[in-house]
Amino acid sequence: MSKNYIKIECKSVIENIPAIRVCVSTFLATLDIHIDELMDIKTALSEAVTNAIEHAYDNSEEQVIVEASIIEDKKIVIKVIDYGKGIEDIALAMTPAYTSKPESEHAGMGFTIMESFMDEVIIDSVVDEGTTITLTKTIRKRKSNKK
Amino acid sequence: MKYRYQNGKLTIYLEEEIDINSCRTIRGVIDGYIMKYQPYELVLDLSEVKFMDSSGIGLILGRYNLIKLLDAKMTVVNPKGNIKRLIELSNMNLECVQYE
Repeated sequence: MSKNYIKIECKSVIENIPAIRVCVSTFLATLDIHIDELMDIKTALSEAVTNAIEHAYDNSEEQVIVEASIIEDKKIVIKVIDYGKGIEDIALAMTPAYTSKPESEHAGMGFTIMESFMDEVIIDSVVDEGTTITLTKTIRKRKSNKK
Repeated sequence: MKYRYQNGKLTIYLEEEIDINSCRTIRGVIDGYIMKYQPYELVLDLSEVKFMDSSGIGLILGRYNLIKLLDAKMTVVNPKGNIKRLIELSNMNLECVQYE
């Protein structure tokens, strides 16, 4: 099974989010992938990284790791890893429009977007140890395919 | 960020990428114009937006709430590609979103 990957390790500050998006989408652009699917993946990634930076460390600056893999030229797996406080109630966190910080104008749409833009979203979280979000998508639309 | 004000209608042309990082600045600029002009209608034009995630949805909803306080109306126009789907997903009961 062929697998290619990149791993980004960075400080958990929101200023790094655009760089993470550019880095992962440039990596994925080596695939023959349609812009629509690339945008969906970028958006889902942005949500996962924003969550890790905004919620995992309560604004103290620690570390976020993003690992993007391409398997067999068609399956994309992105892991967003933090070592923060973890998610106590995953079902609640995933409820559309729920936000733990209502004062900061968040839409509470992060998980809803991840789930609708990706094939699979796995949340693996341990309180006080951290959270790993795994986003998976198999490419269907090819750039070179006229359809 | 370009804007136009005419006869009580304030149009703001959003651009580039709207995420949690850029949101703070964009929000400040939009609210500055709203306060300055106190418009009857606010139009947020998304045609030049290259990327948007749920922080952009938060931004739009926040402006909507502000505009309601001013007893004005708001319209969001020209969302493209997956930004359109993002807005549909968020279920904004925005009678104010126009797809064209």
